Amino acid sequence: MNTWSFYANLALNGLVEGLLIGLAALALNLVFAVGRFPNAATGDFMTVGAYAGFGAHYLGGNIVVQSGAAMLAGAAVGLLSYFAVFRKLAGRPMVAALLASIGLGFVYRSVVSLFAGHDPRFFPMGTVSAINIGGVRIRDTDVWLAGIALLCMAVALAVLHLTPVGRQMRAVADNAVLAQASGIRSRRVMFALWAMAGMITGVAGLMLGIRTAVSPELGWGMLLPAFAAAVVGGVGSPAGAILGGVMLGIAQELSTPWLGFSYKIALSFVALAVMLLVRPQGLFGQKEAVR
Amino acid sequence: MDRSRRQIIKQGAGLALVASLPSAVTRALAQGGETLRIGALNPVTGAGSPYGGGMQKAIILAASEINALGGVGGRKIEIFAEDSETSPEAGVRAAKKLIEVNKVQALLGTWSSGVAAAVMPLTDAAGIVHSTNAGASNITSSKGLMFRYSGLSVRVGEALGRFAAKRGHTRLATMAFNNPSGREITGGAKAAWEKLGHQLVGEVIYEPNRPSYRSEVQKILAANPDAIVMGAYLPDFISILRETRQAGSNVKFYTPAWTVNQSLIDAVGPKATEGVYVHDYVAALDSAAFKSFVDRFRKATGIDATENYYACCAYDMMVVVGLAAEAAAGKGALQDSMRTVANPPGDVVYDFAQGQKLLKEGRKINYEGASGPIDFDQMGNVKPLFKLSEIKDGKVTMIGKVFEDY
Repeated sequence: MNTWSFYANLALNGLVEGLLIGLAALALNLVFAVGRFPNAATGDFMTVGAYAGFGAHYLGGNIVVQSGAAMLAGAAVGLLSYFAVFRKLAGRPMVAALLASIGLGFVYRSVVSLFAGHDPRFFPMGTVSAINIGGVRIRDTDVWLAGIALLCMAVALAVLHLTPVGRQMRAVADNAVLAQASGIRSRRVMFALWAMAGMITGVAGLMLGIRTAVSPELGWGMLLPAFAAAVVGGVGSPAGAILGGVMLGIAQELSTPWLGFSYKIALSFVALAVMLLVRPQGLFGQKEAVR
Repeated sequence: MDRSRRQIIKQGAGLALVASLPSAVTRALAQGGETLRIGALNPVTGAGSPYGGGMQKAIILAASEINALGGVGGRKIEIFAEDSETSPEAGVRAAKKLIEVNKVQALLGTWSSGVAAAVMPLTDAAGIVHSTNAGASNITSSKGLMFRYSGLSVRVGEALGRFAAKRGHTRLATMAFNNPSGREITGGAKAAWEKLGHQLVGEVIYEPNRPSYRSEVQKILAANPDAIVMGAYLPDFISILRETRQAGSNVKFYTPAWTVNQSLIDAVGPKATEGVYVHDYVAALDSAAFKSFVDRFRKATGIDATENYYACCAYDMMVVVGLAAEAAAGKGALQDSMRTVANPPGDVVYDFAQGQKLLKEGRKINYEGASGPIDFDQMGNVKPLFKLSEIKDGKVTMIGKVFEDY
């Protein structure tokens, strides 16, 4: 393998990891933009999505059915979380919702492990073929993942900018009181928001679960990288989240020839710290991104 | 998935029943006298989860059997069970609770080196016996309180390295999960390999829970090895094996047993697991203690202990502590009696009842357990039995014989 393809492969690996992180960050940013708090249960929404997808697989469903199940389950926990907890905390300080979301994450994790047990579950994927372009190997599963990530981002942006409910979402994000005064029904907006964020997180969890192991702690471990990507990309910016994830992923993998595999993870947190110091609004964030 | 929800709930109910037995019995008697308080700190969740649940149930089973015989030295055993989550933080939290709140007199069944190393200072400070399956060599108590029921990771690595050499490999590489156990396995392999006059062609240390190990695999394959010794756990090994085969490599893997089970074969397919060689501790398959334990364990919990070596160890941990407590009653510290009941010379016994009877007659005994002969050396280590297997056509097949020494 020549040097060029060695680094190209590293960058590609980073891109794939980054897309996964970016999907979780996208859901974080959507909720942050409209709901105004960092949802620490995002990781556990992913876990629920992964288990739903695994359940669909167990019952014989293919990848489309699995994705559907993951999205439905993600949307269900998103809506449940909103109506049971976060709606009642609207208007309270951000830290109340943040703490509630951490607690809620624990609840989902425990419920999942109560019913599914703690044993890791694995999708019997076997091995997949790869397209070899000049030594750079692109797998089918990567193409799938990239497609789903871009689709999620496109749908999120389309909903925000092309639909009435998206316009209302942006209005609520801009000024919730004013939005309400001008007749926007916040319940409908929030319903759409949590359903959308839940679906994205659910499918992200499934993608992660397919590649690794489905376990109750699956999503929790993704939360910090997702936060880092959300901050680097710009808190509240949907496109920034994906780009932030991808940039972090690529930087991480490309650093490995020098930093080794143990310290590459620290890199995302260094990036996070630097970004907060130098440009707190992130690369693509404006003060209020979803407007 | 091989278990339905209903089965899991049923098993859960069974466990609750078993778990409630010793405490219910002891609570009733607790007013009458003191109990022997034992902490069961096991990896019920996390990387050790394939074994941890069974370990805990085995300890509880042993305790309830001992209590049914009237307890030790007139005292009933009371088990306090906790989950270490295979995580040092959670393990320390649980150990603190067991030691400070429950005032346990022995802590049984830590499994990973990370947890055992973090908990050891607490058990040393409290002056209580700590029985473990951790393999890191730095886990030895200066106070003689650590007792290890399986081997050192470094020895597992040496066995794997020598085995690779014996099978004619010339370009060996290593990949280690970044914890003491993972690094010592590959360190042992490296030492054995270099002793034979070879050099490793590549070494990678990787972090747990990564979404992908493709860069790590690319790095190691760039060195063009013909075999790789893994210091790994199951989830990361699945990921690494899959990536390796997807990269078109047929390199052989030499790996410890906890990375290999049916989920591995199901997840990557039989073809990809071809050429995976496994070092495995093995219980005392031919011994009366093992056979009888497997039967009783299946009856009590529905779990097949032949699939869970560490449950056999955990059972022995409780029996040995029980016998040691019987021997030490009114005479001194528990840790001083561990060798008295487990090591030769003495009458060989295979269960608690037999051992207790002979102890009461004032005899010296030598307990031979379900997990092996259990003879502690000065460091508190046993010489475990082990075997080597290979995966062929999706089945793990033993090669050669059971080894008693390294």
